[in-house]
Amino acid sequence: MQISPHTGSQLVDLCSALLLLTCFAIVAQRRLSACVDLFALQSAFLVLTAAVVAFLTGNHHIYIAAALTGVIKVVIIPRVLKKVIERLNVKRELVMNVNVPAGLLICGALVMLAFFITQPIIPLGFLLTRDSLAIALAIVLIGFFTMIARQKAVTQLVGFLVMENGLFLGATAATYGMPLIVELGVFFDVLIAALIAGIYTNRLQDAFDNVDTNHLTVLKE
Amino acid sequence: MIIEVLVLLISPLLAGGLSLLIHRSSLLHAINLTSMSLLVGAEIMITRTVLKDGPFTALGQLVYLDALSVFILFIIGAVGLACSFYMRSYMDDQVARGVIAPTRLNLFFFLFHMFLLAMVIATVANSVGVQWVAIEATTLATTFLIAFWRRRESLEAGWKYLILCSVGISLALFGVVLTYYSSLHVLGDVSEALNVTQLLPVADQLNPHVLKLAFIFILVGYGTKVGLVPMHSWLPEAYTEAPAPVAAMLAGVLEIVAVYAILRMKMIVDHAVSPAFTGGLLALLGFASFVTAAFFILIQHNYKRLFAYSSIEHMGIAMIGFGVGGPLGAFGGLFHLLNHAFAKSMAFFAAGNIHRRFHTVEIGQVQGLAIAQPWTAMALMIAGLALSALPPFASFVSEVQIVTALAAQGIPGQWLSNSGGMVTVAFSNRFTSLSLTGLFLLCSVLAFSGLLYRITNMVWGTPPEGIVRGEAWTLGHLPIIVLAAALVGFGFFLPQPIRQLLEEATRIILVH
Repeated sequence: MQISPHTGSQLVDLCSALLLLTCFAIVAQRRLSACVDLFALQSAFLVLTAAVVAFLTGNHHIYIAAALTGVIKVVIIPRVLKKVIERLNVKRELVMNVNVPAGLLICGALVMLAFFITQPIIPLGFLLTRDSLAIALAIVLIGFFTMIARQKAVTQLVGFLVMENGLFLGATAATYGMPLIVELGVFFDVLIAALIAGIYTNRLQDAFDNVDTNHLTVLKE
Repeated sequence: MIIEVLVLLISPLLAGGLSLLIHRSSLLHAINLTSMSLLVGAEIMITRTVLKDGPFTALGQLVYLDALSVFILFIIGAVGLACSFYMRSYMDDQVARGVIAPTRLNLFFFLFHMFLLAMVIATVANSVGVQWVAIEATTLATTFLIAFWRRRESLEAGWKYLILCSVGISLALFGVVLTYYSSLHVLGDVSEALNVTQLLPVADQLNPHVLKLAFIFILVGYGTKVGLVPMHSWLPEAYTEAPAPVAAMLAGVLEIVAVYAILRMKMIVDHAVSPAFTGGLLALLGFASFVTAAFFILIQHNYKRLFAYSSIEHMGIAMIGFGVGGPLGAFGGLFHLLNHAFAKSMAFFAAGNIHRRFHTVEIGQVQGLAIAQPWTAMALMIAGLALSALPPFASFVSEVQIVTALAAQGIPGQWLSNSGGMVTVAFSNRFTSLSLTGLFLLCSVLAFSGLLYRITNMVWGTPPEGIVRGEAWTLGHLPIIVLAAALVGFGFFLPQPIRQLLEEATRIILVH
């Protein structure tokens, strides 16, 4: 089957836009378990994007990365997080540093910022996946913002994982995947980081009876 | 050379694996010391080869070693070996006092070896991407070491460290992706397109816009790991809560490995853009860290936090050295990294001894150290004097080198007026360099007086009631003596191999 470059590029853009959309949904969502579900959905879109890029460019090693994303970010990490949430006594984020409408507005501004920053370097990219670099940066920034705006350890972790998704989209879209050894290493690191953070949430729960990072003020001056 | 490189990588891996299987403390220490000695031995062989025959790659382009990476390896080995000796007395004592359950001792050693392995990989890796993976792995290995006491405060410090550093490092990964983005156009889609050996020769063909963006992301990312202001907020807590040998490794080695990662990237970007751009950014962050830390040193009442802020200060100074550049600035920066590694690990060894005797981290509650623990008091005094950069010590020499370079050249300010016209500050160059030198000297005096005032308060006076007086000689005192001797000795005379290594490494940083 032959797909014209134009259609192909539209397809990749569509998939990346879906990723961005789930970001906004995560920012707007207060229930912890729903945040984790949305993250799994976003990772599924990421798998889709990577598969489309792999199919259109014929770079087979992207399939490996896509499969790994599927296993680790769609299945394993959401499961671990769900287990963690089951143990917690809080299901909803009650107090947020930034309320939802303001958060969404800020995210909109971040998207514009991302497009502004990447404007000068986008023409260098491959025709097929040009605009994905800007979207990738936007997702990284929104993930970063989520970590600042939320107080629950689990949502902060989701923010971190969203950042990682943005980075992976950037690596797939802008460069058709990193060298395989680097990609494998990154997956390994993300997996271990998520597991370690899961262990921490349990221990923090035991020590503080609450995994609200706002309580982590013992060491402040 | 393959064998030495393999020893370098396999000895911590094997030691870590073995540690998990063993519970006897004496065996754990024996494995630790053996693997560290093997590591140092391999490093010495590699250093000799690099100094004689120049840089080389091994294991199919995966490993690249030149004078700069060998210099960093030297610091890892020296501080690591010192830590291993110190741990012999420190860890056994903690187990005996019941602070650590004997069954968890092997976990400590496992994480310690993984930490070491990750740092060695980050140093010898040819690919910028692999280096990133290894630096993130250091975060993962150390977070449980920091939280090892499992008290509320240590869990908090460990969590904060994990989250802040992982996020910072993620930004650095975006920088790596951008680097790859620019190198693809020159080198093509090959798996070596992130290798330093491939990137450096073609660096001037890479797209400067992309690399500028990449460098900013990488500087912020790895800068978090170095503890540069304003990304430093994890650092004082982590250093306070970590067990003393871990704090010594974090302050003495990990920061330096992160600086090395920044320097590697700087060399590539320097070719594509200009040293004025990278140097200006480095000097700016360096000054922010130096000035902030100098003021925070004045208000500390916890001696471990005091040393943590002093770390931020010294990393700032080294960054100013690299930022100002020129042979003197770069040499001074590297030499300062070495001096800081030795002095700071010694300071944390002393801090560990004090904490075990006085059971407090409050400076106000520690008095009469000279009577209670004469050896530790001496170590603390020497480390404090070296960290204040007073004359007989090597850190005085390196700080003078940096400040001389600063006064002569000023910080490169070209990037300010070139960065898109948003900031068009036209510096009168002479005036800026003089006022910055003045600021540098003022902050050194602040840090010096703050540090020495606190330390002398701890050393003199009479110990509080109920504190045992006198200190038995243990194996843990050996590294303190050796490090002290090196700190004084290097100020007068640098041994030929180390001098040669420093000069070669300076040449690598500056080469154009």
